[in-house]
Amino acid sequence: MTVFLVLVMLFAGAYLVAVLEGWTSTGRLRFAGPFWAAVALLGRESIVPRKPDRVLYETAPVLLLVSAVLAAAVLPLGPHLVIADLATGALAVNAALAYVMVALVMAGWGPDGAYAMVAGWRFLGQLVAYSMLIVMPITAVAMRAGSLVTTTIVESQAGIWNALTQPLGFVLFFLAAMAVCFLPPFDLPTAPGELAGGIEAEYAGPRLAVVRLARMVLVVSLSLAVTVFFLGGWLGPFLPGWAWTSLKTLVVAATMLTAGRYVPRLRGEHVMEWGWKLGIPLALVNIFWVGITLVLRSM
Amino acid sequence: MAQAFFTGFFGLAAIWFGVVVFRTSSMVRSALALLFSQAAIGAMFLAMQTEFLGVLQIMMMATEMAIMAIFMVMYMMDPGGLGGMDMTHQKRLSIAAGIFGGAAAVAVSLLGGWGTVGPSTMPEAQVAALGEELLGRSMLVFETAGITILTAMIAATAVAIERRR
Amino acid sequence: MITGARKGETSWLRRLAARASSKELAAFVVPGPEVARAFGLDLGAAGLRVVPSPRHASVLVVVGGLPEGLRDAASVIYAQMMRPRAVLVLGSDTASPLPGPDVSAPMDQESLSAAVARLRRAFAEGAWDPGVEDYAPEAAATETRYTCPMHPEVVQKEPGACPKCGMDLVPREVSSGESDGEEEEEEEAGELHHGSMDHGEHGSGGHEHMDHTDMGFMSMVEMTRDLQPSGDGLRMEWVEVPFGPLFPGLPGGLALTFTLDGDTVACVQSGSAVGRGGGCLQGVPVDDLLEHLGRIDPLSPVAYRVLALRAVENAAGVEPARATAYLGALEHERVVSHLGWLSSFGYLIGYEWLHRRAAGLQLALLRDDTGEGETLWGDLSDLLQRLRGATLLRRRLEGVGRLRTARAAEYPGPVSRAAGLPYDVRSEEKAYQDLGFEPAVQEGNDAYSRLMLHLDEMERSQEIVQAVGSVSAPDDLGVQDGISGEGDATVETPRGPARLRVRIEDGMVRSAELETPSGRHAQLVEDVALEHEVADALAGVASLDLSPWGMTR
Repeated sequence: MTVFLVLVMLFAGAYLVAVLEGWTSTGRLRFAGPFWAAVALLGRESIVPRKPDRVLYETAPVLLLVSAVLAAAVLPLGPHLVIADLATGALAVNAALAYVMVALVMAGWGPDGAYAMVAGWRFLGQLVAYSMLIVMPITAVAMRAGSLVTTTIVESQAGIWNALTQPLGFVLFFLAAMAVCFLPPFDLPTAPGELAGGIEAEYAGPRLAVVRLARMVLVVSLSLAVTVFFLGGWLGPFLPGWAWTSLKTLVVAATMLTAGRYVPRLRGEHVMEWGWKLGIPLALVNIFWVGITLVLRSM
Repeated sequence: MAQAFFTGFFGLAAIWFGVVVFRTSSMVRSALALLFSQAAIGAMFLAMQTEFLGVLQIMMMATEMAIMAIFMVMYMMDPGGLGGMDMTHQKRLSIAAGIFGGAAAVAVSLLGGWGTVGPSTMPEAQVAALGEELLGRSMLVFETAGITILTAMIAATAVAIERRR
Repeated sequence: MITGARKGETSWLRRLAARASSKELAAFVVPGPEVARAFGLDLGAAGLRVVPSPRHASVLVVVGGLPEGLRDAASVIYAQMMRPRAVLVLGSDTASPLPGPDVSAPMDQESLSAAVARLRRAFAEGAWDPGVEDYAPEAAATETRYTCPMHPEVVQKEPGACPKCGMDLVPREVSSGESDGEEEEEEEAGELHHGSMDHGEHGSGGHEHMDHTDMGFMSMVEMTRDLQPSGDGLRMEWVEVPFGPLFPGLPGGLALTFTLDGDTVACVQSGSAVGRGGGCLQGVPVDDLLEHLGRIDPLSPVAYRVLALRAVENAAGVEPARATAYLGALEHERVVSHLGWLSSFGYLIGYEWLHRRAAGLQLALLRDDTGEGETLWGDLSDLLQRLRGATLLRRRLEGVGRLRTARAAEYPGPVSRAAGLPYDVRSEEKAYQDLGFEPAVQEGNDAYSRLMLHLDEMERSQEIVQAVGSVSAPDDLGVQDGISGEGDATVETPRGPARLRVRIEDGMVRSAELETPSGRHAQLVEDVALEHEVADALAGVASLDLSPWGMTR
């Protein structure tokens, strides 16, 4: 029952994020927009490229969707509203997100097209940049909670949110989350202007619908992760827990979608350079800082 | 009962993906098959209730194998496998090594004194115990390993950069 | 029924899908969205969402007639679109070899909106039809040829053995056109030669019937020994990738082909599919010269009309008093053209806000032709200010597309002005000198300084338009019939100086020579793109502000 509820809320969240994305690009709030777009996509014919690697081409969208759902499966929407409350929950989020990269590499290689291939490998470069930054802030968060269990992490923020006590980690995790779901300005794999759609270019019809759905679910999962780890999850007065989580997740998703439009796409070299030379030292400083505060508090 | 079933299932999946690694002639498929073979081993760990090890295995193998895939594409000929290249080399030596290694593994598993099988601890307790072990008794081992890997990374990058004229 | 309907009977489920298709119209614009904007058409406001890949599009929009050079490319694009698909033609009635347009309309915004409404109805009613025919253009036809992996020059129609080495021939699909990779669009021609080795004259290919055990173990180092090394010493497989002529980030009609070594550009071939042929002005009556030149480049028609006017007046010996009266129109068009370029450039580098804002301003300025929109000029100043302060934009573009100063000096125009050389045709004209005009100059000679130069030029043009007041463009020559003479005139178009030399006899043009800035700047493409990462190469090419209409084919 919990599983069903969580999945329903997850996909409802993905739908709302799709509405938000439509709002950021056209300025109009069309609630029926994603529905009609999905039906239109399902009604189009579906043609595969000439010589694809069939297994990889077909598996990539599914794997993207599965990894996004698995990442959200360990994140709680409410005190007892979680699909799998793993003891290593915070780490399992990362394990699931790693397969986003595998899916994109498959999607890049599968269709036997130059644009998709360049896009897929560019995402691998982006992974090298963000992979540390998506794990190290979680370390600091887990330090404060004393556990990797996601529900415990939320409960540890009952006094004050992690975003306020670990602002550095919050900012780094937020940016890394944007890089994971390749939203602009980190949209190297789907660059519309440079690579004619990149990995999405070769998918059409129902497969494209799965890719788009997977992308929306990924955005929701990452926004949920930001909410759970840094914004206090379900904690808040008056409203029930799941309402707070949903509200915070939607705000985070809206911020992710709008922020990137005001900045040009970052070059791959810059992403890697800033990720490693600037991001990792800052993340280490963050861990150090959290460690010191914890030691001082326990004395 | 369910545990034995899932452990066996994932074990067989790991073996099957391992065989696919050599049966296909596409480099990328080979790398990704190896990835899923390792992920199946990680799932075995999960089925055996060593949660941290399982999650860690699944997470690390994804990144590692994908990077292996890109190196294969960069340096190997015919990464797509359309030429139907045979992926096996040095057949006699590898068959001999495989038989010997398999026999050794079976011998160890059958003849080794494993002790009695006890109930597994709760996953949260496992994680806590692992943490204390890593930063307590085994800290020297892990830190040395970490520094060695970091040194190797930096050295490899430095060697790969061409001298500026 | 729409020409690109899906085959089958309608059922209630399909009617729902058809209704959904009619609500979500995704358009792929031929020759390009910048041409649509240059004509003042706002596709987004009419309800069409412009998409970068034809696979995601349901409507092919042809703006202003299909040039001959783009016919093959357009038919391949249409063939790649998923059904149900339709063709919308603006400003013309046919678009052969595409199937007959489902909706055609004149080129203004109201007709466009009405046409889109008609298109929606057509989709809702005719997305499925049992009697539809397939569309198979010749340009997309392929055949199977057999080639030897080790000797790519050996190509046969039948399977067999290679006459040089005896290996079995491998099947490969090639297009049935004369040469390979001509004007084929994007993905289809981007064949990754997975199983073939174009650059390999190496020892063993290890293909089908060669057994490794016979050869002994060959390491990859030995196998790649004879491959051409790249600039960093690595030897990798090279892939030829077309980036044109209908590539979404570049101006429509620019046919680029990059040979990619990894993601670095190793070879560049460039050309234009829409360039004018030489001698197209011969035999034209003088009265029509203005029209003809105005049609050459849809991205800056006013500048070419002024050029025609000046050349004719020069030939007739008339004092060029009237020509200088069109200063306002020239500068207004400069602002509009630069905004159009900014919008396309923003799209290329993924700067969505710039793309939208510049496009909105461009369309607003085109609609307001009195030149007195105060709020518009204020918005323009805001845009300039924000761009100048954007540090991430600077980081993105600094060092990209750098040229050597000596090279830039050979191409007078915005490129040389961005390299610190203040050559501008306008500084020699009296009317400009009276207004105190000084050419804008930037140091730096890279994409960022070219961007800043465009911003500076827009500012100066704004000042001139506000000083002059009128922005009416020339529409008649005002010289008597039957003149004869030789005329020579130069105009600083938004992309650089253009020069027209005409010889007129009895009111007819005997010979004409037109030099366009993009025709010269096209040779800088290789300098800008070579040995750069593909995104930087594209940004460098886009920073040159080429107009493929002005390039020769």
